[in-house]
Amino acid sequence: MSSEILSPEGLRCDGRRPQEMRKLKSELGVSEGPDGSAIVEQGYTKVLVSVFGPHECVNRNLRDHEKAIIRCSYNLASFGSGVRKKKMVSDKKSTEVGVMIQNTFEAAVMLDKFPKSQIDIYVQVLQGDGGERCVAINATTLALINAGIPMKDYVCACAATVYQDSVLLDINHLEESSRGPLFMLAVMPRTESIVQLQLDHRLHNDHLDKVVKETIQGCRNIQVLLDRQVKEWTVEAAAAYDIKPRV
Amino acid sequence: TFQHYFKRINLRRNDLRRSGLTMVTQLSNAEVQFIIDGVEQDFRSDGRAAEDYRQIELETRVLPNTNGSARCKLGKSEVLVGVKAEVVDVDVHAPHIGKLMITADLSAVASPKFVGKGSEALENDITNVLSFLYNSTETVPLKDLCIVKGESCWLLNIDVLFVQCGGNLFDVASIALKAALYSTTLPTVRVSGEGIEMEMEVSDDPYHVWKLDVSSCPICVTLHQIGSSFAVDLSEEEVACSEGYLHVGVMPDGEVSSMEKAGAGNIDPTTLLEMVEVGVRVGEEIHRQLNKQLDAERSLAKL
Repeated sequence: MSSEILSPEGLRCDGRRPQEMRKLKSELGVSEGPDGSAIVEQGYTKVLVSVFGPHECVNRNLRDHEKAIIRCSYNLASFGSGVRKKKMVSDKKSTEVGVMIQNTFEAAVMLDKFPKSQIDIYVQVLQGDGGERCVAINATTLALINAGIPMKDYVCACAATVYQDSVLLDINHLEESSRGPLFMLAVMPRTESIVQLQLDHRLHNDHLDKVVKETIQGCRNIQVLLDRQVKEWTVEAAAAYDIKPRV
Repeated sequence: TFQHYFKRINLRRNDLRRSGLTMVTQLSNAEVQFIIDGVEQDFRSDGRAAEDYRQIELETRVLPNTNGSARCKLGKSEVLVGVKAEVVDVDVHAPHIGKLMITADLSAVASPKFVGKGSEALENDITNVLSFLYNSTETVPLKDLCIVKGESCWLLNIDVLFVQCGGNLFDVASIALKAALYSTTLPTVRVSGEGIEMEMEVSDDPYHVWKLDVSSCPICVTLHQIGSSFAVDLSEEEVACSEGYLHVGVMPDGEVSSMEKAGAGNIDPTTLLEMVEVGVRVGEEIHRQLNKQLDAERSLAKL
């Protein structure tokens, strides 16, 4: 088992180098019903996010007179993971991830521009092969951009683990199942401010600095790719109106 | 009279909206009249005839974690079907056949209405219709799914995930289901020994697999009664004007495998026979096109 994580030549189980990220494919505006939607695929992990809003608050008691509220729901498809998972209405882990994503975007979205409104973010994980939370955050960023909701910056997330003193970035399911630490970071790349941080299992203090630096670099790599996708989509969308935007 | 009809339609529209069958609520009486006239004159709002389906997009083997999968888009409705197989104990009452379990899941990404328990009613509805469709042993050859008679068999967990909802959910689900089963590959199982010493070995060689026979798998054709006429593959606006609908399960050879009337509204017996006739005709054509495209896709993959 341990030899599969990192070979003596320095290659991971899927042939990547420690700092190499998985192939990222993304698409904006995949669904017609929601105001904004996006699919992000990192390796075999594929997440679809829909954004509805800003619209009137459904529950008047939760209405905030100064800013918009965000409601987030996270779901893993039954066929998404290796073993079939039966759909549960209130799965504790799913609720927790939903709240985490909500908190992440409360920091990034300019909520004060839409008082008394509600923004709904719905995350559906279609395939899970590790790093579902991170891919969900990346896809949500794109979906919010697709919906035209103003944000302070991109929010990019990346997960890492430490194995034999090497930091492995953008971990897949096999690497997540190993007994190493699971370090997830969501960052706003321009200011390098950390919006979300989660650590599972044990991480030695000596490794902390290195892990944080490399994960932030991982997030910056993602931001470059997401930005490229947004610009491509903008040019395409503007072409429908015969506009050539300068990107 | 028209006034009476509009009043009935308006009262029904809230029920339809609450059930999730259609999201459209604001239709003026003039729009309703326009849609009804269109269907009766065989020329609908989008130019289709009453028997025409919207464009169908189909792709199989889209989910790597599954034994078989398909993605189907019909108009604005999009569905993902994944088939995952597992080895289980046989049912005491049917020890020589395998099992099928179909579950529908309406994702919240399709509509805010489907968050939490909001989707339960419509999900149960779709699950029941699809399960009913496949209930007979003559649809999927369940005998092929038996591994050891009286002991073990394959259970196919079929999960239907709706990613976008734009009308006619039952039909798109049944088409995607058939395509997913067509693409399903199951590993060969080697059984050795007898009784207590029996050993089952599931092969993990990716080329040592066998495919399901889907030549008897039905699809569902839903026909809605609109005004004094009926139509297939309704968009959401059209559903909001309809009264009563019929699900017809059509086999590839044109036989009717199941039928279910749903929704509020009466259907005339003569209209019912006409609807079934049209349903069978449309269903056969869909099967023909579906088989043609699935075979073409399989030949591309050279499997």
